[in-house]
Amino acid sequence: MDTGRILSRRGVFAGGAALGAVTMMAGERVLLPHAASAGDALAPQHRPRLAPLHPREDQITDIKVCIRPFRAAGPRLDVERIGDKTIFHNYGHGGSGWSLSWGSANLVVGKVAATLNRRVAVIGCGIVGLTAALTAQRAGFDVTIYTRDLLPHTRSVRANGSWTPDSRIALTQTAGPAFADQWEQMARFSWATYRTYLGLPGAPIMFEDNYILSDKPFDDRPAPVPPAGAPGRMPRATEDFATYESRIRDIIPAVEDIPEAENPFAAPHARRHSLMIYNFGAYGHLLLSEFHQAGGRIVIREFHSPQDLTALPEKVIINCPGYAARDWWRDDSLIPVRGQTAWLPPRPEAPYGLDYRGAALLSKTDGVMIQAVDLDGLGEMTGVGNSFEHPDPTEAARAIGVFADLFARMPMVGG
Amino acid sequence: MMRTKDMIARGIATCALGLALLPGPAPARPPAASTACTELAHGADLYRAACAMCHGAHLDGNFQTPALTGRFVANWAGAPVSALEAYVHRAMPLMAPGTLSPDDTRAIVAFLLEANNLPQGKTVRVGVRKALACPS
Repeated sequence: MDTGRILSRRGVFAGGAALGAVTMMAGERVLLPHAASAGDALAPQHRPRLAPLHPREDQITDIKVCIRPFRAAGPRLDVERIGDKTIFHNYGHGGSGWSLSWGSANLVVGKVAATLNRRVAVIGCGIVGLTAALTAQRAGFDVTIYTRDLLPHTRSVRANGSWTPDSRIALTQTAGPAFADQWEQMARFSWATYRTYLGLPGAPIMFEDNYILSDKPFDDRPAPVPPAGAPGRMPRATEDFATYESRIRDIIPAVEDIPEAENPFAAPHARRHSLMIYNFGAYGHLLLSEFHQAGGRIVIREFHSPQDLTALPEKVIINCPGYAARDWWRDDSLIPVRGQTAWLPPRPEAPYGLDYRGAALLSKTDGVMIQAVDLDGLGEMTGVGNSFEHPDPTEAARAIGVFADLFARMPMVGG
Repeated sequence: MMRTKDMIARGIATCALGLALLPGPAPARPPAASTACTELAHGADLYRAACAMCHGAHLDGNFQTPALTGRFVANWAGAPVSALEAYVHRAMPLMAPGTLSPDDTRAIVAFLLEANNLPQGKTVRVGVRKALACPS
């Protein structure tokens, strides 16, 4: 992880204190840095304030379970013939489907364009299918999406919805250096496309301050060496997983250390970075609207075998089934990696995120998301091989408990 | 269509209990029907143990998990029952695919057809009167 820059004394939290003085008059509560002083009140007032969140288990509105479609070699992007159809695969993006969706679509549609066909079918309407369909439309194709479910019901919409382009995307050795180059191309293209959705009504895409908290000093030593030998299809340890983020650090806001005097949290060590997040409701509706407005057609249909595709009128097919490829396309290279998010009511007055003790919190427009990322010290192996797609309230309660405990220990003013 | 809850209750109560546990001579029925009713009861038990956690006790699914009624019928109409069995065997239960034995898979599919008021047979047929009826 990047060491980042050191914030100036009049940093984010000093600004928070300044705004706190204002909001106290309105009877609201805000967090103050431990060492807030009168001088801090002169800090610029454009800095974000930090209203406390007190998440409770009895405030859960939903628990979503997703299965990340992980492939050791990275997403499947090859081309296959079925009868007279040409199938362009576009699935298996692990925990990076949202983040890489536009870039992956760009690669695939580029290959599709070379076929000189004008009509294209897209299988699946998760985030990978929908962005592939939109990208094909923008390249001049007539597009029909064939799908079992639309975006609100697909697995991908059960993610946490933040920029994580190399989250369980591949195994370093298995994928090899060529995939690293391809990943960078996808990540850069996706990032640039997402930026075009910033600042729109309803905030489909936005940036949020994300705070990484720790009870111990951050350890900036190089990552441990992976286990000896090649992992093949199955990861053996966290170190087997590829990390490519350093390749795009020139466009991704760096992580910054927060000096102790400006750290309002009850954890002794804190970092901050500006994180891009996807608000599923606004973004999903926007993408579907764009697809329809451009003349796209959606056919609700479930396929039972790859041979079923031969009945489609389109000769060119972009295949975006996500984890369903495992049973539909008999692709046992897909490894399930379970993830679960708990959702609490939206808290628009507290727009920030937290990572602490293996749990993550993101305050989004459609709710406060709390996720057990790694409560048991398993690192990236958490959820690997687990396809149990059923809510686990105990896991949700443990993750919520991390932040309930954190805020219970935090100083507040006002109220 | 008969409510799924009723189907489950009937499958268990009439087939399992009615045939196996009630005293007195078994009702006069062809052996094939008796075997089929036993399989249905077994399928109902298996469904409750292996499927109901996600698809619901009444096959009604939820926001994340598809119902095994309605669209399920439309999706498999006209398909070979063997294809449905192959899918269930290959993909379900999601947390442990491939763990259902062929016999158990057949029993679950038979139960699903019965629960949707569809006839048993080699093809998923919609709008055809059922031939099999376990005693009520």
